[in-house]
Amino acid sequence: MLTLISTIIIMKKIKYSLLKAIDITGLTFLAPVVRLCYGEEPQVQFKKIGQWIIVPLIAVFIALFVIYDGFIVDTFKTKSGKLPTSSKIYSSYKSIDQLHDDEIAKEKAYNLSGEERVEELKVVEEKITSAEKSLEEASKAVEDQTLVSKAETAKDVAPIQAEYDELKESVKAASAARDVEMKLLAESITPGDEAAAQKLLGLVRADDAQDTLDKEKRNLTKEKINLILTKKSPALQKRKAEETYFSERLAFLKTYKTLLSTQNKSLIIDEKKEKIATYEKELASLSGADALKKAKSIVNQESVISKKEESEYAGSKTIWYQVKRSVLCVFTGFFLGSFLAIPIGIFCGLNKTFMAMMTPFIAIFKPVSPIVWLPIILILVMGAFPNPDKHPFMEFLGELPLLGVYKINPAFIASAITVALCSLWATMANTALGVASIDKDHMNVARVLKLGFFARLTKIIIPSSLPLIFAGLRISLGVGWMVLIAAELLSSSEGIGKFVFDEFNNGSSDSLAKMVVVVFIVGIIGLILDRIMVIFQRLVSFEGAPATI
Amino acid sequence: MKNKKFTTLIMSAAVGAMSTGLVHADQLDVEKDSLKFGFIKLTDCAPLVIAKEKGFFQAEGLQVEVVAQPNWKTLLDNVISGDLDGAHMLSGQPIAATIGFGTKAHIVTSYTMDLNGNAITVSNDIWSKMQENDPKLDSPTPPHPITADSLVPVVEEILERGEKLQLGMVFPTSTHNYELRYWLASAGINPGMYTKSDTGGRTRAQVELSVTPPPMMPATLESGNIQGYCVGEPWNQQAVAKGIGVPVTTNYDIWKNNPEKVFGVSKKWADENPKTNIAVTKALIMAGKWLDETDADGKLVNREEAARILAKSNYVGADYDVIKNSMTGFFMFQKTDKREMPDFNVFFKHHCTYPWYSDGVWFLTQMRRWGQISDAKNKDWYIKTAKEVYKPEVYIAAAKLLLEEGKITEADVPWETDGFKPVTKDFIDGLEYNGKEPVKYLNSHKIGNKDPE
Repeated sequence: MLTLISTIIIMKKIKYSLLKAIDITGLTFLAPVVRLCYGEEPQVQFKKIGQWIIVPLIAVFIALFVIYDGFIVDTFKTKSGKLPTSSKIYSSYKSIDQLHDDEIAKEKAYNLSGEERVEELKVVEEKITSAEKSLEEASKAVEDQTLVSKAETAKDVAPIQAEYDELKESVKAASAARDVEMKLLAESITPGDEAAAQKLLGLVRADDAQDTLDKEKRNLTKEKINLILTKKSPALQKRKAEETYFSERLAFLKTYKTLLSTQNKSLIIDEKKEKIATYEKELASLSGADALKKAKSIVNQESVISKKEESEYAGSKTIWYQVKRSVLCVFTGFFLGSFLAIPIGIFCGLNKTFMAMMTPFIAIFKPVSPIVWLPIILILVMGAFPNPDKHPFMEFLGELPLLGVYKINPAFIASAITVALCSLWATMANTALGVASIDKDHMNVARVLKLGFFARLTKIIIPSSLPLIFAGLRISLGVGWMVLIAAELLSSSEGIGKFVFDEFNNGSSDSLAKMVVVVFIVGIIGLILDRIMVIFQRLVSFEGAPATI
Repeated sequence: MKNKKFTTLIMSAAVGAMSTGLVHADQLDVEKDSLKFGFIKLTDCAPLVIAKEKGFFQAEGLQVEVVAQPNWKTLLDNVISGDLDGAHMLSGQPIAATIGFGTKAHIVTSYTMDLNGNAITVSNDIWSKMQENDPKLDSPTPPHPITADSLVPVVEEILERGEKLQLGMVFPTSTHNYELRYWLASAGINPGMYTKSDTGGRTRAQVELSVTPPPMMPATLESGNIQGYCVGEPWNQQAVAKGIGVPVTTNYDIWKNNPEKVFGVSKKWADENPKTNIAVTKALIMAGKWLDETDADGKLVNREEAARILAKSNYVGADYDVIKNSMTGFFMFQKTDKREMPDFNVFFKHHCTYPWYSDGVWFLTQMRRWGQISDAKNKDWYIKTAKEVYKPEVYIAAAKLLLEEGKITEADVPWETDGFKPVTKDFIDGLEYNGKEPVKYLNSHKIGNKDPE
C-alpha cells in the first residue's frame, strides 16, 4: 500500500517535471503525449497530437515520397542523370557512414596485437573469400547487362542515324543543284541588267537561308542521336552500382588484412626488435670499421622503433569527424564573437554617446558577407602564424587533451573568426536593447543605494538584460552555423563545408545524393544547437517569457 | 582442421617475415614519420594515392594522410605555410614560385609524377562549327591530330562580334596554359601576352583565357561561361559522359610524352627532413612502377585496380567508368570514338619519374615566350634556374636504396644522365627542342617573345 502511494506520488512529481522540461526545451508537441499517458482529458490530447505530431508527419511523408519521389524525380533531370530518390539518398547516407566505420576499423587493426590480431586475421580471410565470390558474380552481371544495353542503344540509334545520313545526302544534293543554278544564272547575266542582278541576289539569299535551315535540321537529328547515346540504362547503372559496392568492400577487406599482417604496428616493431637482436649478436663478433657501422645501424633502428611506437594510423577524415570539427569551430567563433559583443552591447546600452560612436562601425560591418571576410581573415591569420607547425600557440593547441585530435590550424582559426565577425551583431544589438530597456526604477534604486559600477553591473544590469542577451545569442549561433559552412567551403578547413565542396568537385553519379544527405545533417545539427540555446534562454527568463518555436 | 589452417597461417607469416628480413635493407631513420600531402582531384595524383593505399609509404615507416585541396593556389599556399608537407603540383608551379612569378617561395622537386594526361575540350556548339570549317571532322571517327586551324574562322567570327572566344585553363603556370597556348599559336591564333601590368595574359589576345579549378571545368562549360578548356583527367571524359563537350586533342598530340605533374616540397622542408625526403621519393618510385606494370603482352595490369581506388570519394571521386576510360590506356573523344592510347597516362615508362632539367628549361622557355618572365634571360640562367628546382640527386639516392633492396632493376633509372633528355621534334608544329639551347628554341616560335642569343 505504502509503495503504491509513493509510486503515485513519484509519478505525479515526474509528470510535472516532465512537462516543465518539455516547456523549457520548447518541444511543446510532446506535452499532449505526456498528458495523455496520465489520462488527462484524452479527447483534447488526441486532437493536439493529431495537430502537432500526425499532421507534420503526413506532410513530410507527402512531400518526400509522393511529391518528390513520385513527381519531381521523374520530371527533373541533370547532366549526370536523374535526381536521387529518397531511398538513394538514404543509401548514400549509409555509404558515407560506412566509410567512417571503415576508417575506425582500419585504425583499430593497425594497433591490434597478439592473439586478438591472429583471430581477427582469420575472420578477415574468410570474409575476403566470400567477397571475392560476390564481386565475381556482380562483374559477370555487369558484362551481361552491358551487352544487352549496347544492343538496345544500337537498335535505337540505327533508324535515326540512317535518317541523318539520308538527310545529309539529300541536303548535299539539293545544295549542289542550287549551286549549279546560281552559277548558270550568274554566267547568263549581261553587265547592266539590273533585274537579273536582283534575281541572282534573291537566289543567293534563298540559298543561304536554306543552308541555315538544313543545318538546323541536321543538328536537331544529331542532337537526338546524342541524347540516346548519353542516356544511361537504369538496369546497367544498378548492376554497376552493385559491382562498385562489392569491389569497394573487397578493397577495404584487403587493406584491413594488410593492416593486420604486413603493416601491423606491433608486428613491424617485433620484426625490427628481432633484427636488432641479430645485429647485436653480429656486433659481438666484429671489430674496427665494421663494428662501428653495425653499432650505428643498431642505434638507427632503435630510433626507428621508438618513432614507430609513437606513430598513429593516418586515416582519411570522415563525415562524423568533420561534423565534430565543424561544431567545435562554430562554438569557438560563437564564444569569440560573444566575448566581444556582450561588453560592447552593454556599454552601448548604458551610454548614448558610446552607442553613437559605435554606430558607423556596426552599420558598415554588419552587412558584410562571410565570403568577403574569409579570404581577408585567412591572409591575416596566415601572416600571424608564418610557420604554424612550430608556432608555440599552435603547438599548445595541438597538445590540448580533447581538442588535439581536431588539429587546429590557421584555416580553422580563420573560419572561426569569420563566424565570430558575422554572428556577433545579433548579440550586440540585443544586449544594447536589453540594457537600454532596464526599468528606470531599478537604476534609481541602485543610485539611492549608492551601488558601485560593478555591483550595479552584476546585480542589476546583467540579470535584467539576460533574457534579451540570450535571445541574441540564439540568433547569433544560428547565423554562425550557416556562415561556418560557407567559410569551410572557401578555406578548405576540414569540416562539413569541405565535405560538400569535395563532393561537388567529385561530380560522380552519387555526389548529388551525398550533398542532399549533408542538407539533413546540417539541418538537424542546427536544430539541436537552437534547442540548446532555447533551454538557456528559458532558464534565464523569470516570468515565463513566451515559448519560442 | 581449424588448427591446421592456423599453423599454415603462422608458417606463411613467418616465412614472409624472414624473406622480408633478408631483402630489406635498414629502414631510414626518418626525421618526421607522420606526414600530410595535398592533391587536386585529377587522375594524375595516382602515385601519391597508390603509395598510400598500396602501403608503399608504410613500408618506408611513414604514416601519410592525403588531403584534397580546392585549387592550385590554396595547395601552394598550404605547402609554403607548412600545413602540408608536400603536394602533387603542376610542373610550372615550383619553377614559378622559385623565380617569383605569383607567390614567391623556393619549392623543389625530386620526382616527376607523370607524362601526358591532358586534353583540350570544346563545347558541342564550337565543335559543330569546327566541323563545318573542316568537313573531314564531320565523322564519328575524325582523323587525329586535330589542329586549331579549323578553329581560326570561329575565333575570327566571334572577334567580329566584338567578343572573344572564352577558354578555361587551370592555373597561369600550369602545363595546360602552355599547351593550350601552344595549340592555338601553332595555328596562328594569338592567345595573349603577359606583361608587367597585365598579369591576366590578355595583351593582344584573340581569345580570352581564364582560370577555373579543374573539377569546376565541366560545370563552367555547361553554364556557358567558357566555350572550351584544357584540363587533366577525368574532366575531359566527364564532358563526354555528360554529353556537354568534345575533347578535340590530347596533349600527347601537342607534344609527345610531355612532363605533367611533379611532387613538390618547400626547400626549407627538404633541408630539414633530408632522410624523409628520400623515403618519400622511394615510396613514390615504387608507386609509379606499380602503376605502369605490364604483363607479357604489354597490357597495363594494375590500372583497373588503380581506377577503383581513385574512384573513392576521398580521392578523385568521379565515377569508376569515367576514370577507367583514360587510366586503362584508352581515350574517348566522342561517344562513338573510343581510341586506344596506351601512353595517355605514363607513370613510370621512359624514365619519366626522373626529375629532368630539360623539362624545367622547357617550362621556363614558355614562361618567357608568353611574357610571364618579363626580361630577356641568357642560356645559363635557364639552366641554373632549372637546377635550383629539380633535384635529381635525391631521386638517385632513393633509387640506389631501392636497387640495393632489389625492388627495381638497373634499367629503371637513368643513372648516368646529365639531366637533359635527347633533342626532340615530337611537337604538333614539328619544332625542334634542345634543352641545352633554350634561347634558340624560344626564337624558333612564330608567336611570342624573342630574345637576342
